[in-house]
Amino acid sequence: MGLIFLRTAIIFVALLAVMRMMGKRQIGEMQPFELVITLLIAELACIPMADTSIPLLYGAVSILTIFLMHQIMLIVDLKLKPLKAVLGGKPSVVINKSGIDITQLKKNNLDISDLIESMRGAGYFSLDDVDYALYEANGNFSAMPKEKSESEEPSVPLVILEEGKYNKTNLEKIHLNEEFFDDILRKQKVKKRRNVFIMTIDGNGKIYMQCYGENYRAFRAPLPEGISW
Amino acid sequence: MVRTVISIILSAALLAGVAVFENFYVQKQFGRLETALTALEMKVRDEEANRTDAETVKTLWEDEKRKLHAVIPHNDISYIDYWLGEAVSYVETKNYDDALSKIEVLITICEQIPKTYSIAFENVF
Repeated sequence: MGLIFLRTAIIFVALLAVMRMMGKRQIGEMQPFELVITLLIAELACIPMADTSIPLLYGAVSILTIFLMHQIMLIVDLKLKPLKAVLGGKPSVVINKSGIDITQLKKNNLDISDLIESMRGAGYFSLDDVDYALYEANGNFSAMPKEKSESEEPSVPLVILEEGKYNKTNLEKIHLNEEFFDDILRKQKVKKRRNVFIMTIDGNGKIYMQCYGENYRAFRAPLPEGISW
Repeated sequence: MVRTVISIILSAALLAGVAVFENFYVQKQFGRLETALTALEMKVRDEEANRTDAETVKTLWEDEKRKLHAVIPHNDISYIDYWLGEAVSYVETKNYDDALSKIEVLITICEQIPKTYSIAFENVF
């Protein structure tokens, strides 16, 4: 039983470490240790139940070990703040006043499309709609909206350039070509296309652009006649 | 908070208790069987063993295994059943050479099984 206890505890710690390393996209509304418990407990209960060659006591010991680990995690969560951040993670601010924090995004194994998806899930369709956005330790997405000063026709922004590459599908959708945006990049004094982390444009010609290592820029570009969405 | 701490202490104590009990219990049960098998082995070597001697070991094992089922996987128990069944039958037919080899295997199993449940690096990983 001591062996079962040790093996269960080792698997628990290993799973917790892996979950933490996988970043927030793997979690989804649970603390990492809660997800680990959810993953383990069903199997632990099932195996001795179904396999009659294993004493039922093995399942009971494993489950009791998981319970013990859970209680220890609770104490850590409540009382040991520095350890809490290590075990449960801490919120990652992915959008701040300077724009998208690419380092935080990468740290959580997320890319720009994941961020845009989370933004849409939270009801914001433009990266420029929020002052701050963050992924909580449990993977939830929270955003602080910008105060709207102007009223204009609502239009969904589309990703044009993502990590230096044009999104050809979106270019076709809006009937604009790469040259049009290359010209915008030149006017914005962006030397190389690959320096652009993200560029979106909405139907009003409002562009959100952020280059690697720079603050974001939001500006307008006049769209050719007849182009809007 | 107090409840959480109490539950941690209680469950840790319970787990430690079960672990210590299992360790001693398995060792004691297999130690007793090993002693009985060693005595039978001596008699087999002297070609003095008879059906009653073999049946005594078998009865001892039958009694022990009922409780052992709760703490060790049943496959381990069935190994002993298999080898002991053969050893008893060879003793009954006075085929001492074959009986001896079976008993030696049984003694080895009795030494090995408790080791597989001890807390050791090779068992943990």
